[in-house]
Amino acid sequence: MNIELTELTRRFGRTRAVDGVSLQAGPGVFGLLGPNGAGKTSLLRTMATVLPPTSGKLRLLGRDPGGYGPRREIRRRLGYLPQSLGYYPGFTVAEFVEYFGLLKDMPPGRVPRAVAVAIEHVGLGDKARAKLRTLSGGMLRRAGIAQAIVNEPELLLLDEPTAGLDPEQRVAFRGLLREFGQRSTVIVSTHLVEDVGAACTEVALMDAGKIVFHGTPEELTARGEGSGAAGDAPLERGYSAVLAAARSVTAARA
Amino acid sequence: MSDPDTGRDYPAASRRGRWGGGPPDVDLGRVWTGVAAQVWRREPGWLERAAGRLLRSPGLARALLTTPSLLVPWLIASVVVLGAGAGATLGTGTPYVALLAPAVAGAGIAYAYGPGIDPAWELSQSMAVSDRMVLLVRALAVFGLNAALGLAASAASGAAVAITFGWLVPMTAVCALALAAATLARSANVGVVAGLSGWAITVLGGRVADGRLTAAVTSASLVLPYLLFAAACGAVAWYATRIPRGTS
Amino acid sequence: MDDDELIARVAAGDDTALRVLFSRHAPWLAARLRSVLSAADVEDVLQETFLAVWTGARGYRPEGLAGGWVWGIARRQAALFLRRRGPAALVLPAVVAADGRHAGDPAEAVLSRAEIADAVAVLGPEGSPDREVWQLMYVEDRPVAEVAELTGVPVGTVKSRAHRARRRLRSALRSSERVQRGRAAEDGRATEGGA
Repeated sequence: MNIELTELTRRFGRTRAVDGVSLQAGPGVFGLLGPNGAGKTSLLRTMATVLPPTSGKLRLLGRDPGGYGPRREIRRRLGYLPQSLGYYPGFTVAEFVEYFGLLKDMPPGRVPRAVAVAIEHVGLGDKARAKLRTLSGGMLRRAGIAQAIVNEPELLLLDEPTAGLDPEQRVAFRGLLREFGQRSTVIVSTHLVEDVGAACTEVALMDAGKIVFHGTPEELTARGEGSGAAGDAPLERGYSAVLAAARSVTAARA
Repeated sequence: MSDPDTGRDYPAASRRGRWGGGPPDVDLGRVWTGVAAQVWRREPGWLERAAGRLLRSPGLARALLTTPSLLVPWLIASVVVLGAGAGATLGTGTPYVALLAPAVAGAGIAYAYGPGIDPAWELSQSMAVSDRMVLLVRALAVFGLNAALGLAASAASGAAVAITFGWLVPMTAVCALALAAATLARSANVGVVAGLSGWAITVLGGRVADGRLTAAVTSASLVLPYLLFAAACGAVAWYATRIPRGTS
Repeated sequence: MDDDELIARVAAGDDTALRVLFSRHAPWLAARLRSVLSAADVEDVLQETFLAVWTGARGYRPEGLAGGWVWGIARRQAALFLRRRGPAALVLPAVVAADGRHAGDPAEAVLSRAEIADAVAVLGPEGSPDREVWQLMYVEDRPVAEVAELTGVPVGTVKSRAHRARRRLRSALRSSERVQRGRAAEDGRATEGGA
């Protein structure tokens, strides 16, 4: 198990961005779906050791990120792509990827090849020495993915990775996910339901800080059958059905 | 990613597919990444290598040397300002260096935090080399460099010994203030403004109280308050870099 | 964009031009080297070759002979590689040089074989008269009389076809060799360092 969350909660003031989430994930591609404000980004941030949990237990790669030493070790084996990634305009793609490779404590001797592999993997091979300020949004996103994978992480956390990518690039990206999912735990947070169906082996649906569904994409699709829920595709209907059910439960309780 | 090709169904992404042709057992993709690794690599300079050994972290050394306020244009600007101050001191007898040095350093410290970290701030927070460590090393380097420049300018301007060293303590306080403001507001510019205005107020206040511009620098009774203030600002900066912001 | 322009760009430091050159030339270079080296060795030699192209592009004179130039570099890198490895790597027998060149250096002989294998294509498709004669007389080392019997033509015809095959091969090899020799002097110093 690379990720073990037990009753994880993260509060901001009185709001519970993450509310009692329990989750376990080993190698594979794990989709995190949910509407905006559901808490996906906060959950991902917690797993990226950027945000400490308010309560509950968190174990990443078999370690507790509460301590400085284990947290540093986790971060060496982690890849993270935040929802909004800033960049240094004067850096080239190669310098950008290299910079974060070094900050992840990669041995300097291994860095050049790892950078080349990562850049080629995201299809930016002919932009390696182009300055970031000259790149389009989709290319910047791919540069962000490259820095996330440069250290061949065992835990890969991607927040809205396909924003700005055209359909062909999204297909290529799913291939990348599948490849990493064979050896690592990949968590993809997205609101694009079709991305999830194509690449993920497991799906979790979050709403208002809680996980309201956890299963395979097929099971999610099954939830939508015959429910009359909104959606153009089976997976979308499953998504709507689960959300509607979860919200009616909450309303009934309130 | 040195595992052998497992066969992909996306030609655009396939590392082998991109390099069509050639014998099937020769991995041209691997050959190209080997070439690209050498062609694209950045060779660290002697300074970065030395810093890497000293700090025992190549990543930290790289982060240090990309500090905006350690870059050449900034250094030149600092030298010019302090040099002008030294010249003015020699000319007029007013120890401008003592008054300018804290201001220059304060601004430099604010930019130890600034654009160098800010854009990819959230990402930096997930790094093994922690952003706080980077900030600390950068702040120390900027402070040390500015102190050295200031001392050189002070000595060159023939100021009295008390004044030559006297401004180091206020400089520490101003730098701490600039850093605290910058980290709280997450903006280098706010830090600069806070540092400069704080210092200006102190100097003018000293003049009003004591009749001399240099009161803020030379008055021994201010040493302890300066240091306490610096410590408090340091704690604020520490705290500000601890709590990650953002909801949902 | 043609090869000359690409190489000029590489000389100016454009790595994307190197990438295009690689995609154009690496496959056939790999195929030619593969006939004499193992796959892993081909990969190593190709990597050194293109690094040498990167550093030595300034030495190229644009005359539309980029293929020969690149092969020249690959050949030198392969020879260096083989010499470093020692005699054990040179298990392939020395080849009969088509124009009587004596390949004194086993490494060079091995590579000559690769070049010839490629140049033989100039004799025509498999089964064409010149190609067949070449195969029987020089590769399989059969006497003229036997070849005449196998191909069903008079001995005189066999001899003249053999002569023609040698001539065509010689000229094909010479034209690429002229490029290599001419460039070797100029860029040899730049590219040898790539080993």
